[in-house]
Amino acid sequence: MPQPRNARVQVSCFTAHKQTDFFRTTHHHHPFSLLLLLLSNPLPFTCRNSPAAACSVYFDRASRRWVPRHVLPCFRSHRGVDTELQRSTCPHKPHQAVTSACSQSTSPVKPAKVDWPPAVREYVGRAFEGQNTIKGISREDVTKKLKEVIGFFAERSQLDSVTWSTYPLPQELLRDERLSKMDAAGVKPTLSGTTNTTHDNTPSKKRKSQDRDELQPQPTPGRKTNNLEDRITFAGGNEKRHKKNGLPRDTQSKFDQNDLEKRKQRFNLGTATANRPMPPWVATRNDSDSDMNTAPVVGTNQRLEKQYLRLTAPPKAETVRPQHVLEKTLQMLTRKWKEEKNYGYICNQFKSLRQDLTVQHIKNAFTVKVYELHARIALEKGDLGEYNQCQTQLKALYSQRLGGNPAEFTAYRILYFVYTCNKTDMNDLLAELTPADKTHPWIKHALDVRSSLALGNYHKFFQLYLDAPNMGSYLMDMFIERERLHALANISKAYVPTLEHVR
Amino acid sequence: MQDALAEFYTAYASGSAVAVAHFLNPISPPQNPGRLYDFWRTTNEVRVGGDVQYALESRLRRHMSPNEINAWVDVISAYWRGVDKIVKAEQAENQGKLAERQAIDVYDAWKDLTSTFIKYISNGALPHWAVFTLYFTANHLRKFALKADEQMAKAKPVTFSSGFQDDIVSTTPRNEKLEEAARVFNRIFALCLGDRNPELMSSRKWGVYCIANLQFKTYFKLKTISLSKNVVKSIAAQSDLPQFHLYPASHRVTYMYYVGVISFLQEDYTMAEASLTEAWNSCYAYSSKNQELIMSYLIPCRLITEHKIPSAQLLNQFPHLRSLFGDLMDSIKKGDLSGFDKALTEGEPEFVKRRIFLTLERSRDIALRNLFRKVFLSAGYEDLKEGQTENDRIRKSRIPISHFAAALRMSTAGTGSSQVVDDDEVECLLANMIYKGHMKGYISRDHGMVVLNKKGAFPKTGV
Repeated sequence: MPQPRNARVQVSCFTAHKQTDFFRTTHHHHPFSLLLLLLSNPLPFTCRNSPAAACSVYFDRASRRWVPRHVLPCFRSHRGVDTELQRSTCPHKPHQAVTSACSQSTSPVKPAKVDWPPAVREYVGRAFEGQNTIKGISREDVTKKLKEVIGFFAERSQLDSVTWSTYPLPQELLRDERLSKMDAAGVKPTLSGTTNTTHDNTPSKKRKSQDRDELQPQPTPGRKTNNLEDRITFAGGNEKRHKKNGLPRDTQSKFDQNDLEKRKQRFNLGTATANRPMPPWVATRNDSDSDMNTAPVVGTNQRLEKQYLRLTAPPKAETVRPQHVLEKTLQMLTRKWKEEKNYGYICNQFKSLRQDLTVQHIKNAFTVKVYELHARIALEKGDLGEYNQCQTQLKALYSQRLGGNPAEFTAYRILYFVYTCNKTDMNDLLAELTPADKTHPWIKHALDVRSSLALGNYHKFFQLYLDAPNMGSYLMDMFIERERLHALANISKAYVPTLEHVR
Repeated sequence: MQDALAEFYTAYASGSAVAVAHFLNPISPPQNPGRLYDFWRTTNEVRVGGDVQYALESRLRRHMSPNEINAWVDVISAYWRGVDKIVKAEQAENQGKLAERQAIDVYDAWKDLTSTFIKYISNGALPHWAVFTLYFTANHLRKFALKADEQMAKAKPVTFSSGFQDDIVSTTPRNEKLEEAARVFNRIFALCLGDRNPELMSSRKWGVYCIANLQFKTYFKLKTISLSKNVVKSIAAQSDLPQFHLYPASHRVTYMYYVGVISFLQEDYTMAEASLTEAWNSCYAYSSKNQELIMSYLIPCRLITEHKIPSAQLLNQFPHLRSLFGDLMDSIKKGDLSGFDKALTEGEPEFVKRRIFLTLERSRDIALRNLFRKVFLSAGYEDLKEGQTENDRIRKSRIPISHFAAALRMSTAGTGSSQVVDDDEVECLLANMIYKGHMKGYISRDHGMVVLNKKGAFPKTGV
C-alpha cells in the first residue's frame, strides 16, 4: 500500500488543490463492497469541492490507518466513551474536511467483503426502532442518511473506531441538519442548543472544539455536496444522472470531474457564483466604475472560510460574507491560531476577512477588532508588511473613535519608529500625542524607550526591555541586538580593561 | 470691458511681472473691495472670450504679435472664470451655504488659469518675465488648494477606499488638491529649469529658485519633505544656472533656509549649519520673523555641531526665541538637568511642531557635561609638590564615581519624575560622555574611579 512519506499530512483548503496530483497517484480503486454502498448514496467525497475546513490527518502507526486529527484525540483517550467532541465532530462539518483529506491523501485499508460489525448492525436496528422515530422525518430519509453515515466511516475503515452505541441516530442528525439549515437562512444559530442540551457535563476544552464545529454553517457532507454538485456541475440538466451512474465504474473520470469542479471553484471564489448563467467576463450593468465606488456590497455568503484573492473586478454579493458570519469566522480563526499556529493560513484568512469588511464598508468596533488581532498575530510572527498595513488602517480607524486599544497600538508605533530610526515620522507621531496619551503607562513606556535610546542611556533601555507591556517586546526584539552592540562599543571605549589591573 | 482692462494695459506697459500679477489677483485690494465683483460684472460666461479678445485686439494690435494677444486673451478669460467661481463662492458663503463644491470649483478654475499660463509660456507666446507672474498665480493656487482640501476634509472625514483596495480606509491622500497643485508646480519648475534660451537675460532660469521655494512650502505642508531633496538635487545638477549671488536676495534667503532645514531634518548638521548661516547672513535685517525662523533651526544645529549655546544678547534681540529657548539654554549652561527636562517638556508641543524636539533632546548631553565638569572643577587641585609653583598646579584627575552620582542625584532631584539614578546608570552616563567625546578619560570600575585626562578633560570648555 503506497503511503505518502510523511506521516502527517496537512490538508487545508488552500493546499488541497495543489496536492491533488500527488495524491491521485496513491489512490486505488475502492473495493466493491464500498462501491455498492456508494451507488445509492452519491459522493461522500465530492464534498471536498467545498473544502471549508482545514484539518490535518495523522497516520496512526498502531492501527495502520489514516486518522483525521479532529477525531484522533478522543479515540485515543476516550475509546469506548462517547464524548461530545466525537458526537459533534462526526455528523457535521468536519466530515467534509475529513472526507476531503482522506479521499485525497490515502487509500486506507479496506474490508474485503461486507461484514458489518455487530455494533453497526445494532445501530442500524436502533435507527428503525419505533421509539426513535422523530416526527417529520420519513423512513426513506433515515435510510438514506444511515447509508451516508455508515458509508462515510466504512470508506476510511473507521467503523471500529466509532462508538456506535452512542452515535447519534440518522434521524437526529437530520433534525440537527435541518435546524442548522434554518440558521443558515438567517435565523439566529440554535444548533449549539440542540447539541449542548444533552451534553452539559462535558469539559470545557472539548466544548471548544465543538464550538468550532458549530461555526461551520454547512450541515452534513452528503447533503451539502449534493447541493453543490447540483449547482456546480450539472446545471445543464440530465447529464448528471449519466455521470453519476458512470461514477463507480470509472473512478478516474470521477477524479477529473472533481478537478474540474475544483478549478471552477478556484476561479469563482465561491461556489454560489457558479450557477450564474453568464460567464464572469461578460460585463454586467453594475460593473461600471461609478457604481462600484459608491455602493457597498451586502454579502450573502455563509461560509466561514474564504481564500484571499486580490479583487480584480467588483465583488459579487455571493462571494462576500456578511458581518454576522465574519464574526464567527473571527472566533474560529482566533481559536485556530491558538491551536495550530499556522501563520500562512491565518494570514490568508485574515486578509480575505479584511477584504470582505472593506467591500461592505463595515467600519465599526468589529473592524477594529479584526485589524488589531491581525496586527498582533503579524507582530508575533515578525511579519512587518502585514503589521504595517494593519497599523495604518488602525490609525485611521482609531481616529473615528470606534473603540479598540489605541494606546497599545500607539505604543507599538513609537517602538516601530525607534526600530526604523525614522525621525520625521517619529516627530509627526509626537506631534499627534495628547498630554493624556503621554501619561498612559504603555505609551509612556514606549516614549521612555525612545528617549533612553536618544540619550544613549542603555542601562535604562535594557531595563525597559525587560518590562515591556503587551507585545512590545516582539518589536523591541527587532532592535535589541543593534542597541546591545552599540552599548558594547560604548563600554569598550569608556572602561579601562580590567585584566591589566589584575596583572 | 476696456475700463476693466485698463489696469492690465498699464501693468503690461510697465513690463513688470508684479504689476501684471497684481491685475490677476484673486483677492480684492482693501482700498477697492468691490474690484473682483466689478470685473466679474463686465461680461458673462458666454461672452467672456469674445469680449476680452475684442478689447485686447482693438487696443494692443500694434504692440503685440497676434500670438501674444491670443495668449493674453486666454489667460484673462481663464482669470475671469476664476473670478466667476470666487464671486459665486463668496455669495454662497454670505448665504451660509459654502460647501466643498465651491472650494473645489475655485481651485479648479484657478488651476485652469495656471495651466493656461504654463502652456503659453512654454510655447513662447508670452514674454519671459511672465514666469514671475506665473509664480504669483501658482502661489494663489497653493492657497486655494489648501482651502479646497480643508473643505473636503470637513465634508468627508474619512474616505472609503474605492474598488479593489483590500483595506477599509483609503490610502488616497487627505490633501488631494494640494498634491495635485504640487504636480503643477513641478511642471513649472521643469519649465524654468529646462529653458534652453541661450540669452541669459530673457531666460526662464531666473525663476528657478522662487518656484523651488514654492515647491518646498508645498512639500512641507504635505509632509513629503523627502520630495524636496529631488528639487535640491536637480538644481545642483544643473550646471548652467546664473550665478547664485545674482538672484534676488529674497529667492536666495528662502532657498538657503529651506535647504538648511532639509539638511537639518536629514541630520546633516554640518550642511544645515552652512546653509542656515548663509541665509542668516543675507537675510534682510528688518525682517525679524524670517531671522527668527532661521535661528530656530540654527540654534539647535549649533548645539549639536559645536556644543554652543546662543548668547543672551542674541536671545534678547528676539523675544520669541527668548521664550522658546531661554530656559532650556540657561539649564544647559548651569548643568541643571531637572531644569532642562522641565523646559524641554514645557516647550515640547512647539518644538515638535518645528521638528526640532528630537535634536534639542540630544543637547541634554551638554547639560550633563557641564554638570560633570562642575564636579571635576570642585574636586580642586593636587597638592603642590616640591619645587612647583602656583602656576604648575594641576587639577585632581581621579574622581570617584560616587561624586558624579551625587551630582546627578542632586541635579535630577526636583524633576518630580521620581526617577532614581542607580550606580550602574551613573556609569552608563559617564561612559556615554566618554564615548561621545565630551570627556576624555576612562572609567576604572575596580576602583570606582573616573580617571580624566590631565590636559583638556572636557574638550572645548577651557579645562
